Amino acid sequence: MTHYDLVASNQRKSWFILAAFLAFIVGVVYVMSVAFDFGPDFTLFAVVFTAITSIGSYWWSDKIVLAISGARPATREEFFDFYTVTENLCMSQRMKMPKLYVIDDTAMNAFATGRDPDHAAVCATTGLLARLNRAEIEGVVAHELSHVKNYDIRLATVVSVLVGSVALLSDWMLRMTAWGGRRRNRDGEGQIGMILFLVGIVLAILSPIIATLIQLAISRRREYLADASGVAITKNPQGLIRALQKISHDTEPLEAANKATAHLYISDPLKNIHGGVGLFANLFATHPPVTERIKALESL
Amino acid sequence: MPLLIVIVILAIIAFYVIAVYNSLQTLKTQIVASIQEIGNQLKRQASLIPNLEAAVKGYLKHEKGIFEMLTAARTSAQKASASGESKDIEKAISNLQSVIPQIQVLVESNPELKSNESVNNFMRELGDTADKLMYARRSLIDLSQAYNEKLVVFPSNIIANMFGFKPEKGLDTALTGEHVSVSEAETKDVKVNL
Repeated sequence: MTHYDLVASNQRKSWFILAAFLAFIVGVVYVMSVAFDFGPDFTLFAVVFTAITSIGSYWWSDKIVLAISGARPATREEFFDFYTVTENLCMSQRMKMPKLYVIDDTAMNAFATGRDPDHAAVCATTGLLARLNRAEIEGVVAHELSHVKNYDIRLATVVSVLVGSVALLSDWMLRMTAWGGRRRNRDGEGQIGMILFLVGIVLAILSPIIATLIQLAISRRREYLADASGVAITKNPQGLIRALQKISHDTEPLEAANKATAHLYISDPLKNIHGGVGLFANLFATHPPVTERIKALESL
Repeated sequence: MPLLIVIVILAIIAFYVIAVYNSLQTLKTQIVASIQEIGNQLKRQASLIPNLEAAVKGYLKHEKGIFEMLTAARTSAQKASASGESKDIEKAISNLQSVIPQIQVLVESNPELKSNESVNNFMRELGDTADKLMYARRSLIDLSQAYNEKLVVFPSNIIANMFGFKPEKGLDTALTGEHVSVSEAETKDVKVNL
């Protein structure tokens, strides 16, 4: 398989999951609107409300994440390899160079953030930069730059707004049902209306969880895509493979990370210490297992 | 009603043609810019070497051979950046790449040099310069590939032919020759004497 094929395959799968996600959201909202008898204006309100609460985190995503992670700017003098590697990769992709930051921590990790390539930031821990050689740092930076180039932050924001809207609608419907009883009072609708109502309740309870699971599936697929795109840039799968191997052997969790920022990192910074077992751990993971990522890259 | 459908279809086709034409023209300008970028990196190499040489002159004064190689690297970079010819660019890059291992051997074998800060900086900058040249060429390769792909893939090939777009040669590397073939000597087993 060539890196062209791997990138194309991941893009296809990504589109497929996104289409399924949109179909799910539209379907759920439609069924609930029929079951609970609310109109499109209600739905629009939910989406706008969620969007407004997300707009701040999207617009200033770089500043916010960097502030809560305790990152400091990285200079060329202090981090020659990190700086020049990013400079070279951006030159080859004709991309604006993102601002570079480091977190002082021995745990090995890196992340990229920013609403588009013109407002991007890439951050790595000093632990990672100390323990990886230049080719491995190149693999990691190429992965992060691919996230920026593929507009993954923007995608993640849109997806989370949709998930949030569905969660909000479900919440409102369940509350209104609990407090005020059914809003519908039509005659002759009895049986079907009742069934539909029950379906609506079940959906209202389950849909936020299902939407979150699909959101995590999207996040995992975009990680595979970033791996493939990164290798398409460097043409050196071994760099990223060795970096992933080294990072996965590092069991130290990153103190600066928390559940809100975990999905941005190149490898799960929380190390799934409190995670579940087997299938459930995989379904709720923001990142694919490292062994699978390495396997995909070794097929190149 | 049927007239409306025909108009919509024609409009969609027209937009597609415009989109493909514009992307081909954009790629052409990007290819020109990437060739200029290679020239840019060669100029950087040519001006970097004398500065770095000055910084390490005291330490490498016994190594006449190295200085000659550095001078050769610098002059070939200047020549390539002036002429822009493929073979000059290749010569400049191979001169730079052959001087790096020589200096590395020298530095590794001399503990005093190895621990010296300015020599280490020199080595890193030289290596980075070689990388930058490589990435500048890669940009040209990728852009030419994207452009040439549009010229042969259906249906954009129809539009490309319509407007007379020609393939871009990108980096002038021969598609046949010794660098893509395996010689008979290379197919034999290597004898190892332990």
